[in-house]
Amino acid sequence: MIEIKNLCKNYGDRPAIRNLNFSVKKGEVVGFLGPNGAGKSTTMKIITGYMAPSSGEVRVAGFDVFESPLEVKRRIGYLPETPPVYSDMYVLDYLRFVANLKGVPRERVESAAAGAIEKTGLGDVRKRMIGNLSKGYRQRVGLAQALVSDPEILILDEPTVGLDPKQMAEIRQLIRQLKGQHTIVLSTHILPEVQASCEKVIIINAGQIVAEDSLSGLSKRMSGGGHSVTVKVLRNQDAVAKSLASVGGVLKVRNTGNFIELECDGSETTIEKVAAHVVQSGAGLIELQVQSLALEDIFIKLTSKELTH
Amino acid sequence: MRAVLTLAGKDLRNLLTSPMFYVISGLCSVLWTYAYLRAFLSFAERTRAFMQPGMEGGMNLQREVFLMHISQINLLYVFVVPALTMRLLAEEKRFRTFDLLLTSPITSTHIALGKFLAGMGAVTALTAISFIYPLATRGVAEFPMAPLLAAYAGVFLVSGAYVAVGLFASSLTESVMLSVILGLIFNISLWFISQGMAGDASPMVAAVLEYLSLGQHFLGFIMGSVKLASVVFLCSVIGLFVFLTQRVVESARWR
Ligand SMILES: Nc1ncnc2c1ncn2[C@@H]1O[C@H](COP(=O)(O)OP(=O)(O)O)[C@@H](O)[C@H]1O
Ligand SMILES: [Mg+2]
Repeated sequence: MIEIKNLCKNYGDRPAIRNLNFSVKKGEVVGFLGPNGAGKSTTMKIITGYMAPSSGEVRVAGFDVFESPLEVKRRIGYLPETPPVYSDMYVLDYLRFVANLKGVPRERVESAAAGAIEKTGLGDVRKRMIGNLSKGYRQRVGLAQALVSDPEILILDEPTVGLDPKQMAEIRQLIRQLKGQHTIVLSTHILPEVQASCEKVIIINAGQIVAEDSLSGLSKRMSGGGHSVTVKVLRNQDAVAKSLASVGGVLKVRNTGNFIELECDGSETTIEKVAAHVVQSGAGLIELQVQSLALEDIFIKLTSKELTH
Repeated sequence: MRAVLTLAGKDLRNLLTSPMFYVISGLCSVLWTYAYLRAFLSFAERTRAFMQPGMEGGMNLQREVFLMHISQINLLYVFVVPALTMRLLAEEKRFRTFDLLLTSPITSTHIALGKFLAGMGAVTALTAISFIYPLATRGVAEFPMAPLLAAYAGVFLVSGAYVAVGLFASSLTESVMLSVILGLIFNISLWFISQGMAGDASPMVAAVLEYLSLGQHFLGFIMGSVKLASVVFLCSVIGLFVFLTQRVVESARWR
């Protein structure tokens, strides 16, 4: 559905994105994750035909954004960082206006506006002036605007930024409901958002893709299938910590004082060996906890590693 | 075409319901009423004193009352039209609604044309108000309609030029204040483009400058004659500034 090849964009002589390559298949929900200033918005603006890249190629539904921008724009619903709403318009009038602008057939404009209002739960405020709505509702109007032409593709740029937790949850719930009806690309700088709504993650940092995988695949791959193991013993903690370092498969040992933290390779035999070792040492094992590396750690690892060089 | 009308419709409704429009049309009405009544009453006085009523009264009405009225409309429009057009593009940019326009399946030409039509509609509403005065005069005096209509054709085209200029000014900035000021400067320059150098120019340059002078063309209309050259000139000015606006809108995609 979306194919991006060697995409570059410079603002003046400062590169914002460098050599991006990725593709999004029909029906996928993709999270575009990266810290602020990573180049998420820039990439999205290029996909939507809002601005031209410095070099590279973008195809949407087979159309080149450059050569047939109108064909591409007809297929995309876009929610920019700031919802593009007129504060002096009524919600319903605004959605009718957008539907007309997007070329929804005349006889379907009314039902398109009504449909978008229903999907985004704006029924109560449809006759209200947009400028008088709360930020959460304005964001919903922005979302309704992206939905109104029933586009194949939705591009949502940080749809929950600046909302309170309740509004955030509502918007995420909305996005989950849209799954299956549209191909969705949504950007965010916070991880839970991706975990809540997406199947696939593209992590971008300083204008470059640092990882691209399914949510679970990413977890597995980045930790090398590895685990972190926490061990608590009653006696001789220091001696146990030292001797554990020699167990095969244990990569790193850290003695925090309260408990011992191990980084292990992915295999279960290693965990078995660690358990056996602690029990044999007679130190009084009271707790052994195995965790696979959390996505949060991976995200921080990936984005901070990139920053150091 | 549909995109143009959609945009024009939204902005025209917005303009006609804005407080700005009421302030402007109220202000214009007050000024017009005062000046028109004064001119008309003094004209009536003089006709009674020097002439028999009827006869040549019609042509004189055109020269002595309508001419004043229409020059005043023009003078007001130099200042008022930039205030009507200031928001057309500047506010779209300031409130980021421009993003919606640029990512909709419409071209920059659609955007420029739609915005121009909206401005044109609002100014024409104002012109319609000003037309009430000579029309009401029909109730008390006979006069030929054709010269008056010619003069109003001139008002229509000149106001179109101001709208195009104001729209261009609005496309250059995110600030409505700056947009008004630029529009004003452009309008005034348009009027004085030939005046400044007319004195010491060769005959050919003078002829060119005369052709480029908005005032000369407008005068022709007020005097009751519609010249093709004048229509072409004013339409070119409108076309030029709408085109420049289209270029500015398009350039937003390349930054
Ligand atoms: N209009 C612009 N002019 C100059 N630099 C810009 C502009 N927009 C974004 N940038 C820069 O490009 C980089 C990427 O920005 P952006 O795509 O907005 O990041 P994100 O959306 O991931 O936070 C940032 O360093 C930002 O400062
Ligand atoms: Mg951003």
